[in-house]
Amino acid sequence: MTVSNSLRWRRLRRTSVQVGVLGIAALLLVLLGLAVRNGFAERGVSFSFDFLWQRAGFEISEGRVLTWSGFTSFGADMANWQALAAGLGNTLKVAVVAVLLSTLLGVALGVSRLSTNWLIRKLAFTATEFLRNTPLLIQLTFWYVAVVLQLPGLRDAPHFWGAIISRQGLWLPRPEFTSGPGLWLALAAVVTLALMLMRRFQPWRRHLAGAGVALLALAFVLGFRIHLDLPEAGRFRASGGVAISPEFTALLIALTANTAAYIGEIIRGAIEAVPRGQWEAADAIGLSRRHQLREVILPQVFRVVMPSLGNQYLNLAKNTSLGIAIGYPDLFNVYGTVSNQTGRSLEGVLIAMGIYLVLSWVISLLVNVANNRLKIPGVR
Amino acid sequence: MSPMQKKIRWLHVNLFAKPADALLTLVVVPLLLWAVWAFLSWALTAADWSVVFNSLKVLMTGTFPSSKLWLVWIVAGMIAALAGLATSASIPFGRTAAVIAVLCYLVLVLAIFGAAHIAPQALLVLAAFHAAWLIGLRVPVLRENLAPIAFGTLIAVLVILSPVGPSNWGGLLLSILITLTAALLTIPLGILLAFGRQSKIASLRALCTGYIEVMRSVPLILVVFCIWVAFPLVLPKFPIPDVVRGLIGFTLFYSAYAAEFIRSGLQSVAKGQTEAAESLGLSDFDLKRIVILPQALRVAVPGLVGNILDIFNYAPLVFIIGLTDFLRAGQMILANPENSARTYEIYVFMFLTYFVVGSIITFQARRLEQKLNKGVRK
Repeated sequence: MTVSNSLRWRRLRRTSVQVGVLGIAALLLVLLGLAVRNGFAERGVSFSFDFLWQRAGFEISEGRVLTWSGFTSFGADMANWQALAAGLGNTLKVAVVAVLLSTLLGVALGVSRLSTNWLIRKLAFTATEFLRNTPLLIQLTFWYVAVVLQLPGLRDAPHFWGAIISRQGLWLPRPEFTSGPGLWLALAAVVTLALMLMRRFQPWRRHLAGAGVALLALAFVLGFRIHLDLPEAGRFRASGGVAISPEFTALLIALTANTAAYIGEIIRGAIEAVPRGQWEAADAIGLSRRHQLREVILPQVFRVVMPSLGNQYLNLAKNTSLGIAIGYPDLFNVYGTVSNQTGRSLEGVLIAMGIYLVLSWVISLLVNVANNRLKIPGVR
Repeated sequence: MSPMQKKIRWLHVNLFAKPADALLTLVVVPLLLWAVWAFLSWALTAADWSVVFNSLKVLMTGTFPSSKLWLVWIVAGMIAALAGLATSASIPFGRTAAVIAVLCYLVLVLAIFGAAHIAPQALLVLAAFHAAWLIGLRVPVLRENLAPIAFGTLIAVLVILSPVGPSNWGGLLLSILITLTAALLTIPLGILLAFGRQSKIASLRALCTGYIEVMRSVPLILVVFCIWVAFPLVLPKFPIPDVVRGLIGFTLFYSAYAAEFIRSGLQSVAKGQTEAAESLGLSDFDLKRIVILPQALRVAVPGLVGNILDIFNYAPLVFIIGLTDFLRAGQMILANPENSARTYEIYVFMFLTYFVVGSIITFQARRLEQKLNKGVRK
């Protein structure tokens, strides 16, 4: 056999293996599809996504949908896809807040694990171990059943600066703005002041500050005022203010605490990986420990931990699906209701999977962008 | 330096190094003391632990028929022995081990006051654990063949329990069965997926990568539910018990994670190893089996043990397909109006159980990591 002949044989073998693998995969898929179709036929239904446009016919406890008239609360007359959208909105709502809070708490935990104070170190260690070695689900139900639902009832709920904390939910005061031309001027002032924070506008920050203050003053003169809409306790629920459901509160606390424990471990590992010389150099120029941490160590830490944090954010986003255990109407919960009502569980699973996949991709994408932004150009 | 001076120095360095530290210490210590005092006074006086002891059977086995409970004890002994054998692979029976053992028995003696009728069986289970630990230390053949023994134990356990019917499995028993089965099945599947993801065959690589990535970006609860829903549609003729469907969901989901740990192990094996094995004329299969995989698994094992902890921690999710695992059993006990005031007792007990099992798994992972790292040249 000549060399070219053997090469040709090898190529043929490779191609046939490729075709074989694909063929087997395709065959399996076709078999699965046929089996599913038979299963559907046996039940006298067909595989279709029509149910998405049918009337939902059920209420969900919280959740808003974007309609022609702005964000409105979900109602039973809306379609199933709008129910799923409201569920996705709830998932995103709790995920975004939990990501922010767990990052803050996680950094605090990670720094505490390296505190100069032995007690703080041990406390942070115990908390981390406890949160990591027990199931998130029991933590979640504990926060809900044993903490949030044990709060005092609405009638004798404590008030803190206008906020009401009760078993029926949390009501926070909501800032309300007077409308009119003043509102737009105030908005412009806020934008101007926000521009100040951007690096690109640093050279003009004084002008921007002046302009912002002037705009704000003008708005005030034109009759722009902020006043707080304070919630008032009624018989079963409070009115006014921002209402936060007990389910949301419990899920938020559970996700935040649990993810913070993992983030704390990541931050601790990253801080320990910063070369000792950095600490010593910061010490040598006379920075206090707090400043060493804040100005020298943490900026380096954040440059390396982004991918690991991204993994935790992904986990957090997926863990919001545990909300069903306490009745929080997240995407998975709403999907469960929809599939119960319509009997379309398989189609619904495909949609839910697709949404979670896209959500995961978006999070990875954002983390990658943040990671590239944080990298020092030219540094490995 | 006298011991007293040493103590004062320790206090100074660790608690009162700076004014801020001193302030923190002075704030935290009373708070901590108050919390410990509040908890202890509740646990010893106000709390009524009889609810835990009275519902121990439900918590541990769910709806398992009472007349067949001796099967559960046999299974518990076998799993304890397996755990003892696994312990012998990473921890020699030294002073720490003896102390831990004595503590275990002490806890048991305490528990006997509340549940005397199960004390002999519980003692036997603990004894099985220790006997296996000691035997494993003496007989290296046993602890070196842990994987086949574990598979054998799992099959034996499932066979022993099958006459009762999977729908009656519940409580902590179910959580442990799920963990054990999924943990053992995910490793071979993970190995296949990891090799598939690194295969030279592009289509196979794409399929495995796709599978792993999809599984890693959807929630476990969705996968378990999807499998549960899909099986009756695909196989309407063969009704599969809920437990088995749940097990399949867990296995499919966690094998993707296991594959990633094994892949990181595969990547850590130096290229020279492959080249050396190839030059010896090993076939592709032998090369992977004899040369690559043992070295890769050494790196992957701590991650895989962490994966087992994850499986155990997410096992309560089977509530979504109507199964009664440990957490669900506790919630059912609380749903009984008689026990509605005993929320904290049940939760403290469940937290403690989960924490003890979880900490044991974490501890084992850490020891295993240290042990495996010893033989590695850096």
